[in-house]
Amino acid sequence: MTRSRLVVFASMLVVGVGVVAGVGALYLDPARAAVGPLEAEALALPADSRFVIGLDVKRFVSSPFYARFGDGPGQARPDAFADLEEKLGLDPERDLDRVVIAGRDPSGMKKDPGVALITGRFDRYKLGRAAEEKPGVTTKNHEGTSMYLYDEEKKGATAVAFLDDTTLALGSQSAVEAVITNRANGSGGLRANTALMALLETVKPGSTFWMAGDQSMLARMPTTLPGGGGTGMQIPALRSMVVTGDLDPVVALQVTGETADAAAAQNLADLVRGVVAMVSLQAAQKPELAQLASAVSVTTQEHRVQVNARLPYELLETLQPKKKSASSPTHSAP
Amino acid sequence: MNAAAAGPADAASDPGPGRDTTRPLPTVRAARAVFDLSLDAMVWSRRSLMMALLLALPVVLAIVYRAVLGRLPPRVAAFDFYGNIVTYYYLRFALPVTALFYATALVADEVDGKTLTYLITRPVRRSAILIGKFAAYVATTFALALPAIVVSFFLLATAGGWSGIGARVGDLFRDLGVMALALVAYGALFTLVGVLLRRPVIPGLLFVFVWELLANLPGYMPRLTLTAWLQSLIRHRPPQEGVTAIFGQVLPAALSLQVLTAATLLFLAASLWIFSRREYVIEE
Repeated sequence: MTRSRLVVFASMLVVGVGVVAGVGALYLDPARAAVGPLEAEALALPADSRFVIGLDVKRFVSSPFYARFGDGPGQARPDAFADLEEKLGLDPERDLDRVVIAGRDPSGMKKDPGVALITGRFDRYKLGRAAEEKPGVTTKNHEGTSMYLYDEEKKGATAVAFLDDTTLALGSQSAVEAVITNRANGSGGLRANTALMALLETVKPGSTFWMAGDQSMLARMPTTLPGGGGTGMQIPALRSMVVTGDLDPVVALQVTGETADAAAAQNLADLVRGVVAMVSLQAAQKPELAQLASAVSVTTQEHRVQVNARLPYELLETLQPKKKSASSPTHSAP
Repeated sequence: MNAAAAGPADAASDPGPGRDTTRPLPTVRAARAVFDLSLDAMVWSRRSLMMALLLALPVVLAIVYRAVLGRLPPRVAAFDFYGNIVTYYYLRFALPVTALFYATALVADEVDGKTLTYLITRPVRRSAILIGKFAAYVATTFALALPAIVVSFFLLATAGGWSGIGARVGDLFRDLGVMALALVAYGALFTLVGVLLRRPVIPGLLFVFVWELLANLPGYMPRLTLTAWLQSLIRHRPPQEGVTAIFGQVLPAALSLQVLTAATLLFLAASLWIFSRREYVIEE
């Protein structure tokens, strides 16, 4: 072998080792996702889910974002954390790793709260005792798994079930039962929902939070933008939406919406650009808005619109409502 | 390459007993001989040293990021930094420049060095000469560029630990493929420029740094660039500002692959056709 061939061979060897390491990581990495960002466990979620939301709690609570905005006005701490503390005595910041929520009716969360799969470190005995001590809590066995039912007799009963030592399901009784059944049978879960699976496969794995769903997720969005002379501008309808986000070192959001056709995607992209341009025009009064406008970019790809935003914490702080200073006088001096 | 000092080519052109010396050597055998000869000349050259430094710069940056920047309050996450390296450094700058300096020299160097005569007077087809040289270009540039991206990836993707690496490996495979395609496509284009023009570098630089900016314009203009098609194949989409942010568009991936393949074949076919017919005047 000539020296030149040896150089090429050595270089290709480096590439080969990298590829083999990559393939190895793909199969051996314990954090490897089963489908997109979903772990195998979450595939037991109900097949009729219309949307799925995920949160990497460990990353979320250890991010500078949580440290800055966890408390105070517009606090970043989810209300669900308070619910978990109250219902199960969990300390979400300490005990939880990941949360995946699947829902069927986003416009009526009170009617159907869906189901959440929570992964973390739980003391089953302690949590079980804490649940049983609450008034109105009953227990039920479903396919060999114990469930704690809250307000069983009433409409909209909720349930909690330990699927194993590290995973618990929490949500409406029917949804939790569906998860237990799917898990026991090893079929009938989210994999059967091919449309949602296709969306989930496009989610960037490793994100701090993500969301994927069909048009029902956007049911509460306005369909028109107010315009001059009482006429409104029609917002092109979205068929589906995928959101991924990271919080370190800046808040990075990627929103991908799918429209009916390329023309609708272009319309929607132009609309978003228009809104960004209008925000830029406000920069004379509020300089921070100029930074906000430049932090957002919009691209189109066939019938998809992708919005990227990278928002530094300093910018978010300037957009926060101002805290009232304790020393500031509440009444003007006479 | 200096064809006058050609050892392997001599061996390849050795007719051997019983060969019809009135006919040229088979194309594959001749191209392989030219490949060996060109590979030696390309790998052990000052140009390769410069290009190796250019292509390995992200590895140095990745080491600096891990050693220094990663310990400071970061403005850019390590994997985003890797994405920026692929999107802006490699695809917009380093790979086109590498292709430009190697591919335009495939024939131009022989003309400038007055050694082309030694090659084209051998009993080998001109197409075999260009095929062998292009194959040597591909081997050399792959050997310089691809290990750099692999090392950069692992340095930056594991900056926060090995957890979650499995989810990002897909991007590495994709980036390797796109970078290889970029080297082949730009290489084919600049080979064509090299066989067409006597001084191909300036037009090549204008193409890379002026024409390719059309990729940032609205409408159908980006489709006239290689950059737009190549960038549409990768998943890294760093937010952009200014005109790019307003008009940025991502072309369909399948169409991008088809266009790049077709353009590469077209450029190579045109290069072979021109090189086979053109009379090169060697100035004394």
